[in-house]
Amino acid sequence: MKILRTVRFPPQIGGLLRALSEVGFFDRSLLIGSWVMPLYRELYGVHYLLRTLDIDFAVHLAHPQKQMRADLERVITDLGFVGFMTAGGIQKFTAAGYEVEFTAHRPGGREIDVVAIREWNINALPLPFVSILTGFSETAKVEDFTIRIPIPEAYFIHKLIVASRRRTVEKREKDLEQCTVLIPILSDNRLHQVVQAQRIAKPTRRSMTRSCDAIAFPLQRLFS
Amino acid sequence: MKVVEKNNPVRGLLKEEYQRCQEVLAALSEKAAKYPKGSLNLRKKRHKGKEYAYHYLVAREEGRVVNRHIPEAEVPVLQRQLAERDKCRKEILAYEKRIAYLEKLLRLPRPEVKK
Repeated sequence: MKILRTVRFPPQIGGLLRALSEVGFFDRSLLIGSWVMPLYRELYGVHYLLRTLDIDFAVHLAHPQKQMRADLERVITDLGFVGFMTAGGIQKFTAAGYEVEFTAHRPGGREIDVVAIREWNINALPLPFVSILTGFSETAKVEDFTIRIPIPEAYFIHKLIVASRRRTVEKREKDLEQCTVLIPILSDNRLHQVVQAQRIAKPTRRSMTRSCDAIAFPLQRLFS
Repeated sequence: MKVVEKNNPVRGLLKEEYQRCQEVLAALSEKAAKYPKGSLNLRKKRHKGKEYAYHYLVAREEGRVVNRHIPEAEVPVLQRQLAERDKCRKEILAYEKRIAYLEKLLRLPRPEVKK
């Protein structure tokens, strides 16, 4: 495993990632969103500098009835973060303007507002397609701790799907811009593996087609 | 400023950030409002050669300063709540500053301050 010594996270984020790593969160769950980009930069040489101040994590939900492994609410608030609930009942944490949120896979067709995750004593925002990310991940060692992140191909396909489902043009553009910077490092073999592991419904395929057209990415690289 | 105006993803990111800050600010303000107001004071009294310490919550209520005695057993809970409230307030200030900065960057009209 490559040790990424040059990735410099802001102190709050670095401390948070280290604490989550120490309690075993990254054994199966992962860091997602634009904060993955600095790691891709070190691992694969992609350049993408825009980053939001929200730090998202995707929680792996293989054994939802498991007993508590670590009290993440306490771990995070002990780091100086303030916990709060959004109007929708989603638990979030904030410190120095950064916002921490957990997401979990929402199976298609189900309307769930919040997923309570006993294993980590947190609740997460259920979103579709998160399993694409949790299903295809890799680990990176940052200094003395390990972080799990999605492989670029999974991140790319996830963004392709969610981009055309975004309500705002700006978010869609941001998703597609991230896709564009990832294109040079994508492996066709891994793209196929990710696509073949999904049950892609027609509307989802249409979303992917629209996104591929927008970034001039040949669709046959996904479905051959 | 020109980058913000011309570059759509940058402007989008800032707009998204502005919206997020406002949502977090609302949630934090709601949370902070649930915590007790005021600060905890310790008063020491001497009686028959012995010194006794009492905790009081000092808060302003309808323009008056009110001292409310806090039983010793309730002090740790109250201290935790006040510490949490202070953390909340610190975050609220950070978000207010960030919102003001983003309004400037995005050239949004500043909301009128109620007098």
